[in-house]
Amino acid sequence: MKALVIVGHGSHLSGDSSLPVFEHARRIRERYAEEYDEVVECFWKEEPSMRHVLDTVEAQDVYVVPAFISEGYFTQQVIPRELDLAGPVTCKGGKTVRYAGPLGTFEGMADVIMERAEDLLRHKRIRPGRWGLVLIGHGTDLNKSSGGVIYLNADRIKRRNVYDIVEVGFLDQDPGIGDVVGNIEAENIVLIPVFIAEGWHTRETIPEDLALTGEVTVKPSPSGYKTIFYGAPVGTHPSMADLIASRARETEVVRNVS
Amino acid sequence: MSETSPDTSVEVTNVAVASRVAFAAWVDEALDVRTFGQVLIRPSASGAYCLRHRDDAEAVNLTFYDKPWDAREIARLTESGQHRPLKSSPNLRRGWELRVSGTVALAVAMNYLYPAGIVHWYLYREGQLRITNYRENAARQSGIYKRVQHLSDEGVQNAAKACCEDAVCLKKTLWDVDPETTLEIDRGEGEIPCPEPCSVFVSFARRIRLFERETKRGLDAAGFSLSEKEDLAALVEAGAAGVIRLAREAEFEEPLNERRLRYRKLTLLPKLRTAQDASSHEC
Ligand code: SF4
Repeated sequence: MKALVIVGHGSHLSGDSSLPVFEHARRIRERYAEEYDEVVECFWKEEPSMRHVLDTVEAQDVYVVPAFISEGYFTQQVIPRELDLAGPVTCKGGKTVRYAGPLGTFEGMADVIMERAEDLLRHKRIRPGRWGLVLIGHGTDLNKSSGGVIYLNADRIKRRNVYDIVEVGFLDQDPGIGDVVGNIEAENIVLIPVFIAEGWHTRETIPEDLALTGEVTVKPSPSGYKTIFYGAPVGTHPSMADLIASRARETEVVRNVS
Repeated sequence: MSETSPDTSVEVTNVAVASRVAFAAWVDEALDVRTFGQVLIRPSASGAYCLRHRDDAEAVNLTFYDKPWDAREIARLTESGQHRPLKSSPNLRRGWELRVSGTVALAVAMNYLYPAGIVHWYLYREGQLRITNYRENAARQSGIYKRVQHLSDEGVQNAAKACCEDAVCLKKTLWDVDPETTLEIDRGEGEIPCPEPCSVFVSFARRIRLFERETKRGLDAAGFSLSEKEDLAALVEAGAAGVIRLAREAEFEEPLNERRLRYRKLTLLPKLRTAQDASSHEC
């Protein structure tokens, strides 16, 4: 029997953070019913806690996928410690537990970002002009790789030649989103937050900092008009469920190779 | 991290399977219904289980659900639509009935209503539940929670009284401060054991540690800390406006948080009463 365990951050104050984890778990149950006997969620700040989740899993083969964008404090310290993992593969309590990497570095992430952007533009009035994509990251000192993962995805998307310009902007480090969006030389700008869930930043900080009025904001610019399309965070996109399932499957390949 | 760790266990029972089977048997043996937390479970001869809020035993016109995963939707928000970070809080909403068939579906539903509740119930009954005391749990904390390691024994006791008793959490608190220091609280009557401080408790303990530091840094001439005065002011203001609207359940930075007020009752109220007594003697 196989079980997939999705680890989310969760929140004591709002259901926003855990919602995508529950939603992706539901999608995986529906889409991958043949593959997984159990799909369960666990969290740092909600229940079930990582500490106790493995005791609730019946399957012997367990795949743990962190619903986190980048490698860092949570994926390297907190999750292994709380789940009592000894490495990429841990055998304990009669179970073999395989621990996958975070989602942001995974090949398929760029596809989900592109899908998010396509969904955003569907049925929208499009003006002529150049196209710019800005990936928004948190960027914090606590997590040194959080910026790296955003650049990695920007590079992958650049190579596809869909957008005239692909840029990266951060909330808490340079380059700041205000400067990036202000200076980008494009008439149509697509903003995609590379976050796992909706929250204070996606609902308040980003729209306020950039004076956005909704999904579509038209602003005057020296060359006429700039249209800014603001997308929902990539982590809530339904295709993230497939990315999580692929991430889990990849841990088997790693094991078979090693 | 090493590639693989050796499995040192000799023979391992799958506790998830064992607890599912034992829990269903316990429910099946009931003459009528079983109560687990705020949930009433009624078994039927066909192997189906009917779950309701315990206060809805005789209710009619309930919203009907029939998938075990629907339990998540039921457990998600309080009656007034607030997020429920702690599922063992006595704030499960009413007005629903969930019918599931078989022991697997029952376990899935129960794990949304009371996450890991049935496995802990089972392990406790079998005398196999591993208890992690406060100091052991605190030693593991990192980042902004590292400071909970400095919370005094008295602080842990008061935090547990404010955070864990049945009025605010229905679990039976089994952990102690450390192996030598017993937690002196009313541990609760419920069926669901609590083997280790939960994340809501750790966050509350962090707040209480900040109160302790504030006290150590100095009190005013009357013996009160700044945050104690802030909390009193917030209460007076809210009361005078005619509505005391409590902060969210785990919003411990807010003066009008229930657990924070329960802590004030334990630590501030005695100070206020003493001050009152002293001044009445002076008259
Ligand atoms: S630590 Fe306290 S509040 Fe948390 S689950 Fe246990 S008894 Fe309840």
